[in-house]
Amino acid sequence: MARNKFDVDENLESPFNIKHLKRSFIYIKKHSKKMILSLVLSGLSVICALITPKIVGYAVDYTIPNQDFPQLLLLAIAMAALIGLSVFFALIRSKYMAYVGQDIIYDIRKDLFEHLQELSFQYYDDRPHGKILVRIVNYVNNVSDMLSNGIINFVLETFNIIFILIFMFTTNVQLTLIVLTGVPVFLIFIFIIKPKQRRSWQAVSNKNSNLNAYFQESIDGTKITQSFVRQKENANIFDKLNRANKDAVMYAVRLSNFVPFTVDNISVIVISLMYLGGIAWTAQVVSFGILVTMGDYAWRLWQPILNIANLYNNLINTLSYLERIFETIDEPVTVKNAEHATLLPPITGNVVFEDVTFSYDGTKNILEHLNLDIKAGESIALVGPTGAGKTTVVNLISRFYNVNGGAVKLDGNDISQVTLHSLRSQMGIMLQDSFIFSGNIIDNIRYGKLDATEEEIKKACETVRASEFIEEMEDGYYTQVQERGGRLSQGQKQLIAFARTLLCDPKILILDEATSSIDAKTEKLLQEGLQKLLVGRTSFIIAHRLSTIQHCDRILYIADKGVAESGSHEELMKKKGLYYQLYTAQLEQA
Amino acid sequence: MQQIRWVWENMKGFQKSYIFALISTAILQIMQLINPIISQKIVDEVVYQLPKQQDNLKPLIHTLYVLVACMIGFTLLRTTLRYISMVVYENCGQKFLFNIKAELYDKLQSQDMKFYSNHRTGDLMTRLTGDLEMGKHGIAFISRCLLECLFLFVATSIYMFSKDVLLTLSLLAITPFIFWVTRLFSNKVGPYFVDLRERLSLLNSNAQENIEGNRVVKAFAQEAYEIKKFDEKNLDYRNANLKTTLTWLRYFPAVEGLSQALAIAVLLVGGYFMMIGRITAGTFLAFNSLCWTLCIPMRMLGMLLNDSQRFFASINKVIELYYSKPDIKNHPDAIVKTEKLQGVISFQDVCVSMHKTNILNHINLDIKAGETVAIMGSTGAGKTTLINCIDRFVDVTSGKVTIDGIDVRKYDLNTLRKNIGLASQDVFLFSDTIDGNIAYGDLSLSEDEVRHFAEISAADFIDKTSDGFQTIVGERGTGLSGGQKQRIALARALAVRPSILILDDTTSAVDLETEKFIQNSLANLDFPCTKIIIAQRISTTKRADKIVIMDKGNIIEYGTHEELLKQKGYYYEVYLLQNGISSLEQEVC
Repeated sequence: MARNKFDVDENLESPFNIKHLKRSFIYIKKHSKKMILSLVLSGLSVICALITPKIVGYAVDYTIPNQDFPQLLLLAIAMAALIGLSVFFALIRSKYMAYVGQDIIYDIRKDLFEHLQELSFQYYDDRPHGKILVRIVNYVNNVSDMLSNGIINFVLETFNIIFILIFMFTTNVQLTLIVLTGVPVFLIFIFIIKPKQRRSWQAVSNKNSNLNAYFQESIDGTKITQSFVRQKENANIFDKLNRANKDAVMYAVRLSNFVPFTVDNISVIVISLMYLGGIAWTAQVVSFGILVTMGDYAWRLWQPILNIANLYNNLINTLSYLERIFETIDEPVTVKNAEHATLLPPITGNVVFEDVTFSYDGTKNILEHLNLDIKAGESIALVGPTGAGKTTVVNLISRFYNVNGGAVKLDGNDISQVTLHSLRSQMGIMLQDSFIFSGNIIDNIRYGKLDATEEEIKKACETVRASEFIEEMEDGYYTQVQERGGRLSQGQKQLIAFARTLLCDPKILILDEATSSIDAKTEKLLQEGLQKLLVGRTSFIIAHRLSTIQHCDRILYIADKGVAESGSHEELMKKKGLYYQLYTAQLEQA
Repeated sequence: MQQIRWVWENMKGFQKSYIFALISTAILQIMQLINPIISQKIVDEVVYQLPKQQDNLKPLIHTLYVLVACMIGFTLLRTTLRYISMVVYENCGQKFLFNIKAELYDKLQSQDMKFYSNHRTGDLMTRLTGDLEMGKHGIAFISRCLLECLFLFVATSIYMFSKDVLLTLSLLAITPFIFWVTRLFSNKVGPYFVDLRERLSLLNSNAQENIEGNRVVKAFAQEAYEIKKFDEKNLDYRNANLKTTLTWLRYFPAVEGLSQALAIAVLLVGGYFMMIGRITAGTFLAFNSLCWTLCIPMRMLGMLLNDSQRFFASINKVIELYYSKPDIKNHPDAIVKTEKLQGVISFQDVCVSMHKTNILNHINLDIKAGETVAIMGSTGAGKTTLINCIDRFVDVTSGKVTIDGIDVRKYDLNTLRKNIGLASQDVFLFSDTIDGNIAYGDLSLSEDEVRHFAEISAADFIDKTSDGFQTIVGERGTGLSGGQKQRIALARALAVRPSILILDDTTSAVDLETEKFIQNSLANLDFPCTKIIIAQRISTTKRADKIVIMDKGNIIEYGTHEELLKQKGYYYEVYLLQNGISSLEQEVC
């Protein structure tokens, strides 16, 4: 899939069907007991409500004419009891439904989030993050009512219709048939409007997600926007997205409101037809009593139909959100545990690339037939032009991507056959982008090893020379930092990320431009501390400052889809090849 | 109530159509009564007359036709009006959303860094989505329902009063209790809704951060921890939601019971009145059916109060955002200049303190137009803060920074920043094409110009990407390597042909050969430009006209490459460190 932009709608290929609703039954099923009980309680409460008119009727016919006040009192008490019961039933139902509704969205959200944790970098790289966020939070919230109360009401109204129909048919078949002529008309209408309605609500969720994605990106990029004075142009883009969203909503609302409009009119027309049929056209076949009763039923029949029509509106709306949610849950996990994945035993750190071929998009190979044999404890530097694939090589070791051909082995274990957690938890990876979570500094460092003690953390910070600046901050290690590390300088963030990586005591250490923003002096000190730490660990270092890498055991010059040169600094210098050129270029500059 | 006033004020331009919608609601409530009246008439005047007029049905059938036509006509009229009314309500709500979003977007774009360090993206997004949506809900739903309820209640009461005052009063005697209970409830639940909103915001922030930090999560294999963390927030939100609902359910029996008790009152009091002959059977039956109508608004009240509480909790958060003002903003009579600035920069006794610590101490620095100044120094020395003072991402605490002799705080912000090209440390690219990212500051750039700036920034890798300049990069430029992102950011900064170019460690992740190329380009720009470059490499700083060494907020060394080497201070040390290899090498050879 091509990358998605804020102003590009995400297409949904699957045609409308009820499968998304069926699928949501997985979530509802867990609560089937509560659902059924609620249904029964609702039925009971309806019966209670039906008995009360009978009491009043009895009072009017007998008690009041008889001037029997004690009986009237008795009837009032009976009625109070019935009301009490129906309130009680309604209370229980509401309580159950509150739990069911909340539990369903809790479960869906949990599944969605857990699935998102398994998706690869690619998934996150391919779309604006705002579009992912809106699914986790807003869309899930939108489906709760439909999946709890909506379903109960749907069933209740259906029963309601069936009961009334039975009453009607037993009263008079002909008139019932007249009343029912409206149903096919209504169904035809629904079938015409349904696809339009579905598309309209889909458009709403698309436009809404575009708008939110752009909003979020603008928030994150405010500094750039301000420094390039782009506010006006951005406001214009935003205006377009905002308008598209509003128009989509209005179109959908206009369509949706057409449903109750049509139902109301159909119902009045068929009821009119019934009167006309009963009186004017059928030449006296029905008595007036039947007409009165049928008139009453006919009105009652269409109310639940109208309610169902409204529920249906919500259902269509909910389905468009469910589609988005399930689409995300269905997003295939490309990097996942193999079927019989084993736990990677504690490794010593031998890394072997066997004939590895890799491509990000399946067409253009970044690496071809790469062979590497790295012994435990070796320190390896990767150099070469930007974009040559240095980061790719280290990403393959941590299995952030799957190789397209060949295998990567750790201590002889093919990494595609071990669990991801057992693999990655034995490596310390420091990425180019040193992401800092909001919270305090100590928790950020602890991220790699949640049970680390304060001493361990302080020690790690001392090793990477981060302790000095941390201790100078107002609350030391407990100083709060904002999302993305707000108040910290880039170099400070890198030091914290460094401490975080070291803390997990990895057997394999990967440093991808880990020290690019750290000043030379600090880096020197850091290197000294690091030298001790590197003993017994296999390390991969990507850096442009050759001073950082000259002490490595082996230097790999990555170019042309593989290793162009390999050897120690001295060996490569003697060879007078690519590395030599790179090195002398730096010397000339310095 | 100031919340409601705020909403109303922000409905300027469509207040009239909103009033129309409100009136239509009232009219619709009356029209609602017409159909039952007509069908009653059909029963009374046609159906009941059937047995009596068997011989001559013609007039009856004629009456029936008229009544049926009336009923259909009225329904058509009513449903049409209702349709219009609903659409107008929604339209008002959407216009409100549209306006506020546009307004907030502008405000957020002009907010300063301090604001952003106090507001997490997830929290801002909650306000812009859920909270605003609640505002629309207030306009298009809550107010409509409240009005319907009020109208139904008043109309029914008036009708009842016209029939029998005493019986009506005995029914209405219950209403104060209902109001009292609902009031108790709404006082109780108010804080819960504030809490619920907070939980939603936390959930949002947590999810947002997880998405942003997905690489780190994977690198540390902390998916399980992330899931646990999110699960807590998810559970908290669920529980907060339940808490509000369960609180309502505690009051529900009282409200529901009391409102249904109206029927008992009718039976008992009405029945007694009928016994003693005060009212007729007809009146009794009318009261009996109307008491259900009276009941509806009372039962609705609970739900509406719930929604109103939610509305107030949410709209407060929106209003707070709406009125928040940046500290860094235009001077009342800010200087607007259309011609380019020359780029003479002067720091005069500049101090900056943040978080109660001094970041910059009495900095004095003069930079001539066209000069290249390199800034070097240890991590956290204040380098970035120093340059942030120039384009006013940070305002000085004391002293001043001037450009062409004028205090930067006196310039119009746009004038100031248009003259400065910035490529910052943490490269932020937009999820747009590479072309769109480079032309970010100047949309009028031709394709050739974009290509030119990419070339001088050594961004030749672009041609190798799948769609060249039309390749879409992910948010924050994910999918590109650090060095690639930096070069696009550099091209973006150069593309505005700024008088002042600020590079904040922009070449840290590019290889040396490329860096050399970039330096040559920078030395030969086809427009006059003062360059300030923060860097850690001697290779970058060496060619600068002046080198500034900073430490703990002070300038500790200042001069040319040769001068600083002679000083044998920090710079000299770094020089030795980075050249260490060469001396070592000479020994080997």
